[in-house]
Amino acid sequence: MSVLQFANGKKSTALSSSVAGIVVRLALLSAIDAFAVWFLLNLIGDEVYFLATGVAIIVIFVNVVILRHDAYPIRWMLIGLVLMALFAIYPIIFTIYVAFTNFGDGHLLSREVAIQQIEKEKYLPEGGQAYTWTAFRAEDGSFALWLQGEDAAGLLARIGEGITAVTPGEAGIGELDADGIPVSIEGYERLNRLTVVRYINDLGEISFGAGDAVVRVRSMDEAAELKPLYQYDPERDIMVNQETGVEYSAVDGTFTAPNGDELRPGFQAAVGLTNFRRFFVSPALRGPLVQIVLWNFAFAFLSVFLTFAMGLAIAIIYNDPNFPGRKIIQSFLLIPYTIPSLITILIWRGMLNPDVGIINKTIEALIGTSPAWFTNPWWAKAGVLLVNLWLGYPYFMLICSGALQAIPQDIYQAAEVDGANAWQRFRKITLPLLLVAVGPLLVASFTFNFNNFNIIFLFIQGGPPIAGAATRAGHTDILISYVYNLAFAGGRGADYGLASAITIIIFLIVAAITLFQFRYTQMWEEVGENV
Amino acid sequence: MKNKKLYLLLVMMLMGALLLVACGGDTTEPTAEEPAAVEEPVVAEEPAAAEPTEAPVEEPTEAPVAEPTEAPVEEPTEAPVVEEPEISITIWADDTRTPILQALAEEFQATYGVGLVIEQIADINDQFPIAAPAGEGPDILIGPHDRAGGWVASGLLAPVDLGDKASQFSQVALDGLTFDGQLYGLPYAVENMALFRNTDLVPDAPETWDDVIAVGSALQASGDATFGLALSGTTYDAFPIMTSFGGYVFGQDDVGNYDPSDVGIDGEGMVAAGTWIADNVASGFLSDNTDWDTAHVLFETGETPFLMGGPWALDRIRESGVPYAISNFPSGGQPFAGVQGFYVNALSENVLLAQTFLVEFVATEEVMMELQTAGNRASAMTAVAAASEDPDLAAFAEAGAEAELMPAIPEMGSVWGSWSDAFSLIINGEQTPDEALANGAQQIRDLIGGAAAGMVNVPGSWQAASGACEGDWDPACEGSALTEADGMYTASFSLPAGDYEAKVAHDGAWTENYGVDGKADGDNYAFSMAADGTVTFTYDPETHILEIATE
Repeated sequence: MSVLQFANGKKSTALSSSVAGIVVRLALLSAIDAFAVWFLLNLIGDEVYFLATGVAIIVIFVNVVILRHDAYPIRWMLIGLVLMALFAIYPIIFTIYVAFTNFGDGHLLSREVAIQQIEKEKYLPEGGQAYTWTAFRAEDGSFALWLQGEDAAGLLARIGEGITAVTPGEAGIGELDADGIPVSIEGYERLNRLTVVRYINDLGEISFGAGDAVVRVRSMDEAAELKPLYQYDPERDIMVNQETGVEYSAVDGTFTAPNGDELRPGFQAAVGLTNFRRFFVSPALRGPLVQIVLWNFAFAFLSVFLTFAMGLAIAIIYNDPNFPGRKIIQSFLLIPYTIPSLITILIWRGMLNPDVGIINKTIEALIGTSPAWFTNPWWAKAGVLLVNLWLGYPYFMLICSGALQAIPQDIYQAAEVDGANAWQRFRKITLPLLLVAVGPLLVASFTFNFNNFNIIFLFIQGGPPIAGAATRAGHTDILISYVYNLAFAGGRGADYGLASAITIIIFLIVAAITLFQFRYTQMWEEVGENV
Repeated sequence: MKNKKLYLLLVMMLMGALLLVACGGDTTEPTAEEPAAVEEPVVAEEPAAAEPTEAPVEEPTEAPVAEPTEAPVEEPTEAPVVEEPEISITIWADDTRTPILQALAEEFQATYGVGLVIEQIADINDQFPIAAPAGEGPDILIGPHDRAGGWVASGLLAPVDLGDKASQFSQVALDGLTFDGQLYGLPYAVENMALFRNTDLVPDAPETWDDVIAVGSALQASGDATFGLALSGTTYDAFPIMTSFGGYVFGQDDVGNYDPSDVGIDGEGMVAAGTWIADNVASGFLSDNTDWDTAHVLFETGETPFLMGGPWALDRIRESGVPYAISNFPSGGQPFAGVQGFYVNALSENVLLAQTFLVEFVATEEVMMELQTAGNRASAMTAVAAASEDPDLAAFAEAGAEAELMPAIPEMGSVWGSWSDAFSLIINGEQTPDEALANGAQQIRDLIGGAAAGMVNVPGSWQAASGACEGDWDPACEGSALTEADGMYTASFSLPAGDYEAKVAHDGAWTENYGVDGKADGDNYAFSMAADGTVTFTYDPETHILEIATE
């Protein structure tokens, strides 16, 4: 009803929303809601309550904003806000949540699923019988088993009836064949080893017999009087081993016996600050951290400086509209920007290979020796910067080309009249005015390179190693690659909890740096105003 | 500006393409196998599956003729089962195995009336632990044994009982997939490295590393080879050199389980191997470049006469046309053995069916032979491996006859990086083998021990009651750790009255623990507090005996 009021309200002329407009809007909204409800039901069905809550909040928010008149201004930001909530805020909250759990290898399952899995384990109690079996299937889909054991020549097991020895030739039981199995049972058809396979799932879930003497199919060759090995006691939150009586209590996501035995699988559980503590007391902090942090800053700074300098130089050279073929050349210069860096980094790796790389072979042919890009610490650093320069300059070339166009030509003319030479014009006019536009992008580029895991990891994996380091580290390792190597590399498996905790710590570091740098961007803005 | 729309369109198309790539990258279309279009009675297909020697009349279990279920005419309700199976098994396979399994799917469906859906997944190892807990995993997947250990620990795999068929498989294959005494998969291939040599340059297989050096140096001197040997890596790929000098990664207990507290990276054998490598790099016999690709290219172009390589390189070496032969590693060097297996997803709804599929259908000589021929890996089934017509596979099997299984314990993940770094530093000449390996081993021990390396703890039922820890029986709880004083470890805690139990645990884990009388894995110590008071633990690291004093 609120929509109708809104349409008939005082601003109806300004809004010029016809009835058709409202209908379309309502139809769209109900379509979104319908989709949302369907999505929510699916999420709840999959027990993804966390995401479901997030989606529910977003949907309610969308409805409120669209239906309420006074939320009109927010409507313009609606899509942006929703996308931000889904793709920025939700993952952040989830990461923080995971940082306080033991989610990872060994603890991948939820508590309920883990309990189910543990309770599936069966054992054969003392005196329990194991048989080979043959299945018979009735037309209504029920089954009977013919059991043969060491002591029993032939037993018939039906659901809900005691397991009994029967005499062949009586009560509808056919004669035995060479293997001691009845050729037929009245009302049933005999299944052979091939035809039984399609029913094996059903057979596995059926308890044949009645009371305590219940036989379950364990495999194609065995049916036995199996009992569940573990039973969960929800009141005391323990798992009880039915065979030995040992009680396993839940400790940090694992059912643990008093003697330290653990039941598999473990489950996800909140573990408080353990992950953070693990990071701070881990060998990670005993490594050559100062060296890594210094190189991290140097790498980020030099990457930004070099790419910016080269991009700017190219932009100035081709800024002259009379330069022949400049469009084609500029297009070619953009190529590094258009190819995925994943691929180009690996190609560079190949080209710089000391034995078979084209660049090294060429250099060696010219001067007789070639740089050891992958084994010498300084050459390795140079190599990383070189490749990053190649990957990064087109970006600044593009930005600077645009920014240069925006600088009014009359300032240059005035400077020329005042007698400024080319260097002075560049230093006093071009650069300050350019930085106004490009400054914030330099900060962004710095932040990006500070965490530029791709190039370090794909090009050189942080190597060459630092000799004598207390914890494994390489000369080109930056913080993120160093921590990654420690926490995840080498098939150590996934430890999402620790990973999230480290992510949060690195986020705090990078956020502090960025905050610090934003002061500088403000400074640049002031320069811009003054000019 | 007039081109703006065009750009917009272009951008939209690009994004669309990216989305398609992103969604389509991992999974190719699942291909449900369609049964043969012609309505052929299953009976006709039967001889393919059943052993032809058996006469159907005498052996009713094997004879579909006697089975009314299989005859569509007599039992019309059963006919659709053959056409469109009610249930099917989903398998995740890599690009090599997918076509083989797809070819088998039709036969399987015709024989058993159960469908087979093969999905080709590029990175099964990474996808499976994410998909399975979410209920999106396959029924069966294919992967290497060293990843299976982690999956078993996470409860993602169901055991497989091979029954009598187990004896048909090689012991190393079964060992690879056995965790805690239980088989968690069907092994189908064993893979290990062997020594390739260029038969133009080296006609006879070398017996010792000295032979290798003699032959290689001669070729270098005559200009026929750039290097005598190029390593294709510093760890796994160079392991045969290390084993020939007696090097090892983890020590083994009596029954062959790897012991993570015995790290062999700085052992004598490793140092000897490191010295050998350092000397030969210095003499120019070994390349100082250990890039995998480079080593293979050097061999394929005839620039090195030897290569330590695996069956995974067979295709590219054959394509390169270089004349080669495969032999054992010199001086008794042993590679790591890897086992490839089929695993059953424990969270699948078809666990029993999947287990049955593996044991009844895949664990047969016909299917194993197909897998061996197309996969370039020696079969885990001994009879099939022996029947191979490919001499290369036989040569690989011989080279790996005594190979040690690559450790599948999680601690192995802490080894690779430092192990590799140590040998890089040796090859660079930055450190002596002694220094580099001692440092590397220390890094590994620290990483395995984590924060708790060197910790001596007395986990027990008293921990929570003392307020020092959040839970009981936690060997990693820092609150209850003992502190060292004069070679003894000791600590005191106040406890309420009651009966308690405790045990000694080292390094924050149960791996090394001591019970009554200092016995490893022994019984719990019991002590009781008559009234609220203080308990003092004193532990002697020499005798492993714990004194418990209450007051």
